[in-house]
Amino acid sequence: MTPFTYSRASDPQSAIEGVAANAQAKFLGGGTNLVDLMKMGVETPAQLVDINRLALTQVEELPNNGGVRIGALVRNSDLAEHQLITARYPVLSEALLSGASPQLRNLATTGGNLLQRTRCYYFYDPAFPMCNKRNPGSGCGALEGYNRIHAILGQSEQCIATHPSDMCVAMAALDAVVRVQGPQGERTIPFADFHRLPGATPNIETNLRPNELITAVDLPAMPLATRSHYLKVRDRASYAFALVSVAAILEMDRGTIRSARVALGGVAHKPWRATQAEKKLAGQQPNETTFRAAAEAELAAAKGYKYNSFKIELAKRAIRQALTTVATMA
Amino acid sequence: MNPTIGQPLKRVDGWLKVTGSARYAAEFALPKLVHAALIQSPIAKGRLTTLDLAAAKAAPGVIDILTRANGPHFPPYPADLTKPGSPGENRVPLQDDELHWVGQHVGVVIAESLDDARYAVSLVRPDCAAAAPLLTLDDPAAQKNATMPEKWVGTEELQVARGEVAAALAFAPNEYRLEVIYTTPIENHNPIEAYSTTAHWTAPDQLLLHDATRGIKQLQKVVANAFQLPLENVRIVSPFVGGAFGSKGFQWSHTLLAAAAARLVRRAVKLTFTRAQMFDSAGQRAETVQQFAVAAGNDGKLTALHHQTTTHCSPVAEYPEPCGNMSRMLYACPAVEVSHRLVHLNYTTPCPMRAPGEAPGVFALECVVDELAHQLRIDPLQFRLTNYAEEDEFEKKPWSGKRLRECYARGAEKFGWAKRQPAPRSMPAPDGSLLGWGMATAIYPAKQQPAAAHAILSADALLTIRSATHEIGTGTYTTMSQLAAHALGLSLENVHFELGDSQFPQAPVNGGSWLTASVGSAVLAVCAELKKKVVELAGSWPNDIAGLKDALARSDQPQIEAGAKAEPDKEEREKFSFHSFGALFVEVRVDSLGQVRVTRATGVYDVGRILNPRLARSQIYGGIIFGLGMALMEATIPDLQTGRIVNANLAEYHVPVCADIPEFDIDFLDEPDPHMPDLGARGIGEIGIVGAPAAIANAIFHATGKRVRDLPITPDKLI
Repeated sequence: MTPFTYSRASDPQSAIEGVAANAQAKFLGGGTNLVDLMKMGVETPAQLVDINRLALTQVEELPNNGGVRIGALVRNSDLAEHQLITARYPVLSEALLSGASPQLRNLATTGGNLLQRTRCYYFYDPAFPMCNKRNPGSGCGALEGYNRIHAILGQSEQCIATHPSDMCVAMAALDAVVRVQGPQGERTIPFADFHRLPGATPNIETNLRPNELITAVDLPAMPLATRSHYLKVRDRASYAFALVSVAAILEMDRGTIRSARVALGGVAHKPWRATQAEKKLAGQQPNETTFRAAAEAELAAAKGYKYNSFKIELAKRAIRQALTTVATMA
Repeated sequence: MNPTIGQPLKRVDGWLKVTGSARYAAEFALPKLVHAALIQSPIAKGRLTTLDLAAAKAAPGVIDILTRANGPHFPPYPADLTKPGSPGENRVPLQDDELHWVGQHVGVVIAESLDDARYAVSLVRPDCAAAAPLLTLDDPAAQKNATMPEKWVGTEELQVARGEVAAALAFAPNEYRLEVIYTTPIENHNPIEAYSTTAHWTAPDQLLLHDATRGIKQLQKVVANAFQLPLENVRIVSPFVGGAFGSKGFQWSHTLLAAAAARLVRRAVKLTFTRAQMFDSAGQRAETVQQFAVAAGNDGKLTALHHQTTTHCSPVAEYPEPCGNMSRMLYACPAVEVSHRLVHLNYTTPCPMRAPGEAPGVFALECVVDELAHQLRIDPLQFRLTNYAEEDEFEKKPWSGKRLRECYARGAEKFGWAKRQPAPRSMPAPDGSLLGWGMATAIYPAKQQPAAAHAILSADALLTIRSATHEIGTGTYTTMSQLAAHALGLSLENVHFELGDSQFPQAPVNGGSWLTASVGSAVLAVCAELKKKVVELAGSWPNDIAGLKDALARSDQPQIEAGAKAEPDKEEREKFSFHSFGALFVEVRVDSLGQVRVTRATGVYDVGRILNPRLARSQIYGGIIFGLGMALMEATIPDLQTGRIVNANLAEYHVPVCADIPEFDIDFLDEPDPHMPDLGARGIGEIGIVGAPAAIANAIFHATGKRVRDLPITPDKLI
């Protein structure tokens, strides 16, 4: 690991100032991804500003039935089991519990999970010469390489990596809002705008500005979000990244789908909100024909590569399966 | 005096292990210990032209860097270890600049801390003249250097034929014939404990090693040869090994590099692999391509079996994965041809991995048998009974003991096999997934190697027995203590078994599932010898501890010692074919997303006498879980442009987690093999994995109607 200096911040303002003072500085949360990447030599920060003592560990109800605010340092384990989450947003709890292992969830933070970096092999091992994320302009090693875990939607010739988070897929479906604080003050970013598609700049993964700190994630009030499911398809029963995952929420009105929220994981550079599928679902009867049409619509633009073309069919089946599960819920 | 044999006793070292006080190779804190990290080849083929060490040498904490420039001249490895067909490398490190795979060791940074050493490695700039690597079995350039090795580890014939295979295949009508290709990928052992060597020169010509090895005596020979020392000047102490599964035997470069590094800096040096190095530095299971042509008569009897294996090895060894060995005789068949072809590729050197040959070979054979049975509309179990081998038709010998029919019958009964609907996709589950039932035969050779032991009976009637064997997680301390307690009528508390020290009497490399038969025989022999001595002194062997103490007190000796050696009975070994057998039945559930869960595994095994059912059952569980990993998830994946492994970590190289593990029902016939020594126990370390991948693959076919012939069977292959 490249040597670095370490400091501990006591409040958001000093954390932001600490990171702003050094162009090579990074915030340290749970460290489950950052420290791993530092060991691999992918991340080489000169300074770490530890934010673990910041008072961002609450899950609280927003006033006037305004939803729920999740502090950026709430650990995945705590969030998954929190009564406000299990009662109002069970899809988020399911997604969290399907991710990583209990040990990792005990450390991993909400804010850190948003910034989790791709598991693309060609990104994760600096010995591979080509990676436009690590080294802009060097090319994409995955394009002609072993790309079984790679993207089928929204990718570019510069990058076909996927976002590995489960939590974020549920948050995308829930229309979460990311609260950040930076040198210029506070602002909010709608979840759909937080992560970016790779385009020509896959090295820029989010719309965070320099030295901005994630302080919380807000979940809007959504009284009917309990009819939901997170389906994760993976190579083993636990502790595996999603080949494909689906967060699905159906709002029903007397046997008809009033509105649907669907997001996909494992298929794109960002948590993929399945808007095409949602359009096909709204106002329809919840049956196999509807679900099939929704899945086909969402994957119509999908493109596979040598080892990952199976994901197109797998994603369609997963969407159908998840919707069927939700539709048949009591 | 408690009975000990056949009792489900807890491990005598269980407490040490669960409390973390068992000391593994990396846990010997020697004075002034420093740390080493490996410099590795960045390319798969070529030559190292320069190694720029300037930045690394200037890095904090760096003491020195061992490279070819300042390293010792190592002579070749002992010739008997590098014969064609042997596991382990034939190239000693640091003697030339040739690069044969990504990750090959080209130097060692020695620093005050592990972090310092690893950081300095990242600053080393190797310059290489790269050549085009050979990375696939079907690369025509690689095909050109293919060889047909004669023997595996000097004993097993790899190219054999009997009867008229071609004629029998030509004669069979299409519906009675099958030609298929099965493949298995590169797999890595991945024991929890990484390879680790701590080297300490206690005098200029005296070397102490703590090494994660399951071959203490062999490693002692390798190291003594490398540094041109008398054997006894190299001492290896390794009381616990954290899993091996075929790794941690044989000669690999890191042990020599650690010792050379320690000599260079005149400090004790510890060299421990990273998890990534567990994939590229010291052994893996080779990729296999297995081509079958089989035929049967209209009575369901096999008429021809042709099993051709192509497998790879590194450029610096000649080790073939012997996939066809069990095809030579698992079933009765008048015409059998088995061949093995070895292709040299630019990957790290393969070596045995749990059931070498049998695991991939019997997977393929038992799937082929299932395919043929299905094609002939015969129940797969019935097909196996129809082709039951009453004797070993390859060696032309009777079995030392074969009760496979009983295994089939009892397993089928326990599992409920009779209720199986023969048609694929005929067992849908309420949740829309498909259930499937499959079975396979397990077989593994029952071997014995020479071994010796030494016993000391102290005045307070404490028995200490020593042998240079190993505890790799299988329960050696426990079973050897049980045998000694049994032989002398002592309770387990009065027996102390010691292992893992090269100063102890000879024991074989832990492998081939032969530890119990080999070292166990030596333990029983030394107990008999000791008993004889006590009887000579006291007139008879006392019945209890008080009597024993009394007899010892009356003798004028402070303690009584005995030594003994046990060897396989050559006549018996000549007369019989020694194998263990088993039948495994599994149920799988396959969902519409291609996800497979193994829900039940029922196995019945004929492995001779069971010394400790608790440990035996654990071994079989472990073996089946290992086979489940092989069937459904394990694969080491190289990037085909560079030869670099893309998934060299345990997040992406998948092995089963607890949630993948089925409900087990494991049973043993527990009948002694009359031709094995002493108690008639055969080994059980490897038979658990054999058959498991095939039983699972066959169950998946039954569930889905899809025959996946390329492991691992991941969801993408089932949707």
